[in-house]
Amino acid sequence: MTERETFGGAYIPEMLWETLQQLIAAFEKAKRDPEFQKEFRDLLKNFSGRPTPLIFAERATKKLGGAKIYLKNEGANHTGAHKITHCLGQGLLAKKLGKKMLIAETGAGQHGVATATVAAKLGLECVVFMGNEDIRRQRPNVFLMERLGAKVIPVEYGSKTLKDAVNEALKFWMENLEKAHYCIGSVLGPKPYPEMNRYFQSIIGREIRSELQEREGKLPDVVVACVGGGSNAIGSFYDFVPESSVRLIGVEAGGIGKKVGQHASRKIAGVLGIFQGYKSLFLQTDDGQIAPTHSISAGLDYPGLGPELADLYQEGRLELTYALDTEAVAAVDFFAKLEGVISALESAHALAHVIKIAPKMKKDHIIVATLSGRGDKDLFNFARAFKDKSFRDFLKDEYNRYD
Amino acid sequence: MTRMTTSIEKNHQGVALMVLLENRGKKSLFMAHMIAGLPTISESIQVAKALAKGGADIIEVQIPFSDPMADGPTIAVACEEALKKGATVKKALEVVKKVAKFKKPVVVMTYANPIYRMGIPKFIKTISNAGAVGLIVPDCPFDTMEGWSLLATCKAAGIALIPVVSPGVPKERLETLAKDATGFWYCTTRQGITGATSVFASDLPAFIKTLRSTSELPVAVGFGVKSKKDVKDLSKVADIVIAGSVFVVALKKNKKISAVEKTMSQLKL
Repeated sequence: MTERETFGGAYIPEMLWETLQQLIAAFEKAKRDPEFQKEFRDLLKNFSGRPTPLIFAERATKKLGGAKIYLKNEGANHTGAHKITHCLGQGLLAKKLGKKMLIAETGAGQHGVATATVAAKLGLECVVFMGNEDIRRQRPNVFLMERLGAKVIPVEYGSKTLKDAVNEALKFWMENLEKAHYCIGSVLGPKPYPEMNRYFQSIIGREIRSELQEREGKLPDVVVACVGGGSNAIGSFYDFVPESSVRLIGVEAGGIGKKVGQHASRKIAGVLGIFQGYKSLFLQTDDGQIAPTHSISAGLDYPGLGPELADLYQEGRLELTYALDTEAVAAVDFFAKLEGVISALESAHALAHVIKIAPKMKKDHIIVATLSGRGDKDLFNFARAFKDKSFRDFLKDEYNRYD
Repeated sequence: MTRMTTSIEKNHQGVALMVLLENRGKKSLFMAHMIAGLPTISESIQVAKALAKGGADIIEVQIPFSDPMADGPTIAVACEEALKKGATVKKALEVVKKVAKFKKPVVVMTYANPIYRMGIPKFIKTISNAGAVGLIVPDCPFDTMEGWSLLATCKAAGIALIPVVSPGVPKERLETLAKDATGFWYCTTRQGITGATSVFASDLPAFIKTLRSTSELPVAVGFGVKSKKDVKDLSKVADIVIAGSVFVVALKKNKKISAVEKTMSQLKL
């Protein structure tokens, strides 16, 4: 990359062109429309429960012995993660566009549950695509989506994870352009999705700024967030991009090793490519095939980096690093015991990095880590990771209680 | 068809396509789709031969990509199988070379990433040397950095860069595309993905009329073409009828390459 690359764009079949033009127009209009802004703010406050708290992790700070640690608890949102914010924004736009249905892809199930929730709230139909592998990992969320009235369609081919769910959602959209809005769940996909979801999610960073101002009277020194596609990350970072004193650190899924298929880190092996409508860094083979990925957290198990994050990474504004599966699990435990917060496995990647850097920082420095979601959805995965025998027995008993 | 003549006049195979189109009379041509590497690399060459023997006028060779966004389950799964059996872009391009020897114009189809990864100039040079006459990249619009690069490189190599359009694409957009389009329009029978259903959009004839008013390029129509009736219906409005998934299904069902030839000859008018 000698010349500066332009990330993003709209690499899409022509049949999507008109629909995306309409979406761009609706989004631009919404930005200036006081009515839209009012509705959006109202839903964030009175439905999702914003602003979310900024927790001072006092015991963790003491234990690690370095920088002051704050946790931006996006898990306090309705449905348990930050995802609902861009779902509400897109749901409102879909209504303005006269659409009757929301389509979503989901990895961990958080975006699926959030979309199904918003669809129910706004009176829209909902179809969610989810890889079979993820359905296996996150069955409880499938159950919840169905209770919310959504139709969950398993994706049976490819790697059967998040990227394949995006493929299938895109295809279904192309078959239902008139009726449906595709509510993409991260800051990726063709224009205007990366900018649009960042626009909705950047409330996270604005809240961090004002909450910290109130408590500490200053800016954070470091903001840390996990990065799959990057919606909670860019949401947390965006307001601080112009503040050169604030380090922005994205933590990717280091999985179980550095070989192809063992992780989902673009820092380790991302190469410039074009995929799912946008140009960015992707995990891919020398042949240009999208590579398999691995992460203990379904939400980070995705090969592409949101293009605006790729841009910040390229210009050196954003640092990328990774945490291993085991480090993420340990971080959940650490913050659960010390702070009474059970993090989602995705967010735990950010927490794992906090554990690494906080001790090396000065005591008057401040780290804010975004807790993108709470860990309820990972109950079964945690139980397995901790080899919890009593939970295993419970599942057996529960199984026997059926029929 | 003056535009096409000028754009591909230097290319021997391109001339073949042009002559074919100009001399077809009232009969529409048939473009048959296949996947390089399905069922295996060497057998896929036999599939091409079967299509040619069965009466295909043009052969579209798809270079498998892991995540084919415009393809329905039939072709998506088939591409996955081809990759699992060891197909690579390099090997697929060897297939293109061998298929071009069957004296039918060959059009290459793939997605943006494999081309981008290899490098646009190298990819175009390779397919040009292999004897391809056209290229279809459904996820790379002309008005992107890579689209511009593809247009320039294809033009220099005498390869037609064929746009994929669908009913619903507005006239203003078609007019923009028409300025750069060469070869023919690849018009899908409806909005959606390959294979899925044989229900064609009700506004397809009107859309084709718009296409014809926008440029002089011939119109190829495909997606969901499964029966002789489909071919008959579409040949009333199309210069070229395209079918693909139907051959993959035939190959899978019968496990014999002869089934492809049979299917092809049954579809041919």
